[in-house]
Amino acid sequence: MKARLLIVDDSMVIRNLIARQMLDERLPPIDLVGLAGDGEQALAIALSRKPDFITMDLTMPNMDGEACIERLAEVLPGARIMVVSALSDKATALRAVSKGAHGFLHKPFSEEQLVVALLELMS
Amino acid sequence: MNFRALNHEDIEVFSEAISAFFLNMTHESAVVRTAYLLDGSSAPLWSDFNGVIDVSGGFRGSITFSAPHGMLSQVLQAIGEREHSVDRCLDVVGEIANMMSGRARRHFGEELAISPPSARLRTLPPSVPRATGVPFAIPLRWRAHEANLVVHLDIRR
Repeated sequence: MKARLLIVDDSMVIRNLIARQMLDERLPPIDLVGLAGDGEQALAIALSRKPDFITMDLTMPNMDGEACIERLAEVLPGARIMVVSALSDKATALRAVSKGAHGFLHKPFSEEQLVVALLELMS
Repeated sequence: MNFRALNHEDIEVFSEAISAFFLNMTHESAVVRTAYLLDGSSAPLWSDFNGVIDVSGGFRGSITFSAPHGMLSQVLQAIGEREHSVDRCLDVVGEIANMMSGRARRHFGEELAISPPSARLRTLPPSVPRATGVPFAIPLRWRAHEANLVVHLDIRR
């Protein structure tokens, strides 16, 4: 069975970049269930498509990533969430984890760092 | 409320953020030049595409990455993006500004509250600055292209 992935980022360039790495042969087969540009879209897609894994930006319009993680922890507690954010202070990472995130990847990242982070999220 | 201007150590954080972006995302180093004060006699640095981050929290002002179309097309190509349209250039210039601002939180902490990016073409004028101090410009060269990160921040004492 394929892992179901939702990608959340307000940048289409970053969404596309993460989506392209799904094809890396080290990763398990992945079914991309949605691309969201903010937290509100992410919640709607998550509720209807039930992803197993979510990559989550933090700084986004409408609903930001922290608020979205908090809601997802309530409505989809089984989903594993990896924050992919430029916010690189420790307090932000710790707060995201306390709200329900399972990992944190700082932007800017290399393709290798992204694949390793996705492997850890899916292991 | 009392604010202070940026010092050398603060500026160094942004120079390091520029290097980190190009090295990580494109696997090619940028040449980051010495920062200078953008006083009234300096030429404006607004370029083809401009990504602007508004800053608040213990800070006041903005961080702007300004780059020519040619640089952004090549950045998009380097990270594997097939489409190099104006929309994609606006997207990536905002994301670069976001990454450079976000990385500065390693130094400033979460008190540096940053907005989602707004991206503007050369034809749209810059907003009225919210910071009162003199902005710093950090020029850089990547491949054959010149760009600038303009940091215009007041920091709460």
